[in-house]
Amino acid sequence: MSPMTKTDSAILEVENYKVGFRTERGLAKAVNGVSFSLEKGKTIAIVGESGSGKTVLNRGLMGLLTDSNTIEEGSAKFMGEEIAGLSRQRFWGTNIAMIFQDPMSSLNPVMKVGKQVAEPLVLHQGLTKKESKKEVINLFKLVGIPDPEKRFSEYPHQLSGGMRQRVMISIALAIKPDLLIADEPTTALDVTVQKYILDLLQELQDERKMSVILITHDLGVARGRADEILVMYGGKVMEHAPSEKIFTEMSHPYTEALTAAIPRLKDPKHTRLIPIPGSPPDLVHPPVGCKFAPRCVYAQENCINEEPAVTVKGRHSYSCFYPVGTEKNKDAYQKNAAQGHTAAGLKISRRRVLK
Amino acid sequence: MVTFGSMSFLGDPLFNILGPIAGDTESPESLKIIEAAKAEYHLDKSVPEQWGRWAWDFVRGDFGVQFSTTGQPPVSDLIKERLPRTLELMFIAQLFALGLAIPWAVTSAARANSRIDKGLTMTSFAAISLPSFATAVLLYYVFSVKLDWLPDTYNAIDPFWGFSHDHRLIQLILPALTLGIGAAAQYARLLRTDMITTLREDFILMAKSKGVPRKRVLYIHALRSSLFSLITLLAINVGFMIGGSIVVESFFRIPGIGLAIIEAVLRDDFPVVLAIVMLVSCGFMVLNYLADILYSVLDPRIRNTEQGQQKKVTIL
Repeated sequence: MSPMTKTDSAILEVENYKVGFRTERGLAKAVNGVSFSLEKGKTIAIVGESGSGKTVLNRGLMGLLTDSNTIEEGSAKFMGEEIAGLSRQRFWGTNIAMIFQDPMSSLNPVMKVGKQVAEPLVLHQGLTKKESKKEVINLFKLVGIPDPEKRFSEYPHQLSGGMRQRVMISIALAIKPDLLIADEPTTALDVTVQKYILDLLQELQDERKMSVILITHDLGVARGRADEILVMYGGKVMEHAPSEKIFTEMSHPYTEALTAAIPRLKDPKHTRLIPIPGSPPDLVHPPVGCKFAPRCVYAQENCINEEPAVTVKGRHSYSCFYPVGTEKNKDAYQKNAAQGHTAAGLKISRRRVLK
Repeated sequence: MVTFGSMSFLGDPLFNILGPIAGDTESPESLKIIEAAKAEYHLDKSVPEQWGRWAWDFVRGDFGVQFSTTGQPPVSDLIKERLPRTLELMFIAQLFALGLAIPWAVTSAARANSRIDKGLTMTSFAAISLPSFATAVLLYYVFSVKLDWLPDTYNAIDPFWGFSHDHRLIQLILPALTLGIGAAAQYARLLRTDMITTLREDFILMAKSKGVPRKRVLYIHALRSSLFSLITLLAINVGFMIGGSIVVESFFRIPGIGLAIIEAVLRDDFPVVLAIVMLVSCGFMVLNYLADILYSVLDPRIRNTEQGQQKKVTIL
């Protein structure tokens, strides 16, 4: 299924991976058959709005969803070894590291930050307290924390957001992981700090030949830094392509809608951003056909009743009956615009006209 | 003050001091003795004045004398003798309670809504609902009468440490368990709820993803930030435990402060009751203050605001 050519250097191969949560209303299919593979030293960005399943996908892969109400299916191979459904505890703190979205809530508020960074070093690399402190101070210098000796014995609440995220990064890097999962590493930060943190991550990645999964809702962040981009919606992959191709040969209406919702510098002033109407689908009773159909301006009858198959064009794949930029897509839009609404009943107003 | 007021309506302490003569108000001789005794103990003064005198003496460490027919030993002697035993009992009871409650709550929270958790929650409900006299009878019957593992009598003279069947620590197990079980169940329920909330925090996921072993995640990362309400309850519970110790001490015949207060109430021994009630209240306040201090030891965020306030003061 994966359009990527599988090579021996793949650090992570995910095949038809699914994560479901048993709820009172029924099974919520948060991740519904995702496939991709990630090579050593490369970065894949997983893009989607809140509720698209990107965070669940990664926590699932990491093995952090161990609740008895969670069901994991499909295959995920880490360095050639099947890990789906099995305990991944032995990889934690040794091969896989994770950076969480909110550096405030992800650091233990009642533990000195230095100790939090040193913990995996002491536990997994057998360093003594003294050695680990030295190592932590080096790490702090590496990630650009000023006055590292003093910071070592401070508590999270004494640090700024940017500093805290640097502490998080130094925790993740302390163990020299093969795979780093960065879950919206800059979402909770100031725009000015964002760039610094992302540049820092990239620098360290190049230095250490780490593979990175970058989760973000911001296509702009993904564009410059990822080798590949995976666009997720409703627990499914909508489009998957090398980074630049997503922008030059954008095929899925959801990707298009995401791009239209991002402000751009070259746009004239007061350009109206185009929001995506509606909200992410119900995961317990998802739409029968294309998951995005209820919110898509191109939606036709078959979009609602059938699920589109994956179209593969080299390294680029997408699932849509009316891919953006084709005649079919234009016809579909004309038809919907003439009706004033899509097949799913979404109203099309003049203001929302995309082209 | 409330105690003092209510005491002054109840009974006539002169019976205790003078014996049957106090009831004889006919003969002029006994009336004289009564007047003299009243003057000696300031019982002829108004209630507010009595209270004022007593409070002033209390602050200076003079708890007065006991009202009894067999001489007037100072109240402080009685308290010195009895208080350590009750403190010992309560300390061991709290240790039992915490020793039971912490692993209980952590196990429950770690597997919230599992069968183990539900079982433990049921057990804690049962333990909370059981009144201490019932627990006492139950424990006594099982461990002392049926199994004969533990002694049924309390002998204050026995050494505290040691391994003989009769030494004091062993004798204290049943009374302390009686006091501790109810408290343990309360602590466990509170701590379980707080732990479940803490375990949902991102920093727990972070700790797991760092490869911190499960036990360490639970007991080091999650427990410390979940202890705050438990400390509050702990401090409040000491007050309740004194109430509980009245029942437990009378059941197991431990001559502690609880038994002393019962004896004193029964014989209208005002100074003893007053001194004990006052001491317990003071102890309660001190403990609550200690709990506040403990917060700042546990939580660096509180520590810092205090420092911040101090800094502000110096600037002003």
